[in-house]
Amino acid sequence: MKYFAGVDVGSTQAKCIIVDEQRTISARALVETGANVARAADRCFAAALEAGGIARESIACAVGTGYGRFKVSFGDLQITEITCHAKGASLLFPQTRTVIDMGGQDAKAISVRDGEVVDFVMNDKCAAGTGRFLSTAAETLGLGLEEIGEISLRARNPVRLSTVCTVFVESDIMAYVAQGKKIEDILGGIHSAIAARTIALVRRVGLEPQFTFTGGVSLNVGMVKMMEEKLGQPLNVSADSHYMGAIGAALFASEHALVPAGN
Amino acid sequence: MTELQYQGHLHQLQKQLMANYYAALTASAEGSGEPAAYLLIGGNPVELLRAFDILPVFPEVNALQLAVKKQSLPHIQAAEFMGYSSDNCAYVKADIGQYFAGRKTPFATIPEPSLLLCNYVGCNVYLDWFGHLSEYSGCPAFQLDIPFIRSKSGFPSKDDVDYVMRQLQRLIERCEEITGRQLDEDRLRECVRLSSLTGELWSKIKHLTKHTPAPYDAYFDSVTMMAPLYCLRGTPEGLVFFETAYAEMAERVAANRGPLETERFRYVIEGPPPWPHLRTFRDMFSRWNAVAVASTYSTVGGLWEFGFRHDPDHPLESIACHLLEWNLTNRNFLQRYEQIERYLDEWHASALIIHSVKSCRLFSAGQGDMREYFTKLGVPTLLIESDLEDPRYFSEAQMRTRIDAFFESLGHRALVQEASA
Repeated sequence: MKYFAGVDVGSTQAKCIIVDEQRTISARALVETGANVARAADRCFAAALEAGGIARESIACAVGTGYGRFKVSFGDLQITEITCHAKGASLLFPQTRTVIDMGGQDAKAISVRDGEVVDFVMNDKCAAGTGRFLSTAAETLGLGLEEIGEISLRARNPVRLSTVCTVFVESDIMAYVAQGKKIEDILGGIHSAIAARTIALVRRVGLEPQFTFTGGVSLNVGMVKMMEEKLGQPLNVSADSHYMGAIGAALFASEHALVPAGN
Repeated sequence: MTELQYQGHLHQLQKQLMANYYAALTASAEGSGEPAAYLLIGGNPVELLRAFDILPVFPEVNALQLAVKKQSLPHIQAAEFMGYSSDNCAYVKADIGQYFAGRKTPFATIPEPSLLLCNYVGCNVYLDWFGHLSEYSGCPAFQLDIPFIRSKSGFPSKDDVDYVMRQLQRLIERCEEITGRQLDEDRLRECVRLSSLTGELWSKIKHLTKHTPAPYDAYFDSVTMMAPLYCLRGTPEGLVFFETAYAEMAERVAANRGPLETERFRYVIEGPPPWPHLRTFRDMFSRWNAVAVASTYSTVGGLWEFGFRHDPDHPLESIACHLLEWNLTNRNFLQRYEQIERYLDEWHASALIIHSVKSCRLFSAGQGDMREYFTKLGVPTLLIESDLEDPRYFSEAQMRTRIDAFFESLGHRALVQEASA
């Protein structure tokens, strides 16, 4: 049996997906990227091989994606995460027309047709609307990143943030804490502000359903609900949404390896 | 072979001629007696200065040279320390910084101005730039008030032309005061004649990129030709440069040679380049075998490829029209759309790249709308942003991801089109 690997080395985490010849996910792994990007790629690839009980020699092709894609030493190809997210999203949700990807330092909106990118926009050199913003907010409130989404769902009177700047949000949050605002209302305001900003980004490629939500922030149930409310549309979210770039990369790896030589 | 390895005779000749030009600037700074005039690129009336043997000095060209040589940041920071805002035009800050650093650059010592000729009013920051230089140097600023193109037709009115010509007459008087001699009208006509021939050749060079493969990159190689176009136009050496460049490019067309081994994508590009990272930026396109076949930036100084020529029989009128009508920045945005549409169509390009400049709102305002406009026309359009002078605004990883993703999707479109054909 041949296998194909996709390794998405993001700014915060490195993800690896291994698929078999039927394009079924056989293994997955996730590690923190840390300071050594090349090592992070190696580590998550090794972890995925181990998780799936797959021998290194069975990997017919590996594709690197994400900011660290050129550091995937064992990669046969490098493809941007934009193209890979579109590919992965279309496998899991074939009716996908718009991919909303919120990662550690990036927010992207990708317009998709038949699994291919038609148009895309990204946030610029600003962490507003990204996972980094949420982790800063969680830290300021002394909470874990994984719990803030759930808590935000309990908001009854969400506060109105005066900024979506990752630097200045800390003082904004502290001001609300000092005023005695409830934590869930502060978190409700944070999620609302980020969702509004992200949807403004998505508008630039067109608000066309179905929407598929990918990237680490898609694990945040509060953000999913807030985005759905503001869009007035359900979002496709899978337990593997976090891995979408790696899934797309693994699919490209399978196509690349299975194309007859010369084509 | 990478695009960067394409170094033709014209690249060598440019280096030599620009070294001579900068040597003349240094000689002027050291007291050779040749007066220097600072002026701006947009529609630059360099012929008038040449007729008086006044050396043209372009602070924008000096600033970009500093950036290319990775020397701009200390000057920018020095200007910010003086109080210039971080959002201010980085050309201005680099220039002010180098002015107070003794005007010594790796390529020349820049002379003090005898004339500060602000020939463009479309940018209020530029007006202040020359105002500040006037304050620092003690040289009075001479302001040409060039009306924007306001009509739907895209042409200036006769009143506009007369208005500018009257100002040019006053400029002549100022040059006479500076040099102590009267305008030699034959000399002016000769400078204008040389410019006319130069413009004809530059226009022909620009049209050669309609050929597939394009013989040179109309962005990255055009900038090599733009310095002589401004600094040497109206001189015999300037004309020789463009004769050489045209011959070389025509030969490349005949031999079907492009700047890359393969030409896979033909695109049009809008906006100035990120000078501090020019090589890195160029490589981001070269690795996709993408060649710019036209660029709006190369028309900032003049729009020769769409018909403009200086007229030796009407020298002042043609200089006025150059200032008013025949340069990119004095035109309105709809005219810029039209220009890009012509490039896409007549130069056979399939995509538009917009490089937006953070510290230049004048050039960049409206580019979001431009992206929408061309996307609606069905033209794949990518908007990227950094800066033309400040190296801190360039995020290599983000830029690379956007450009790679854009060409990945263009590659896919091409495959689909081939399959359905």
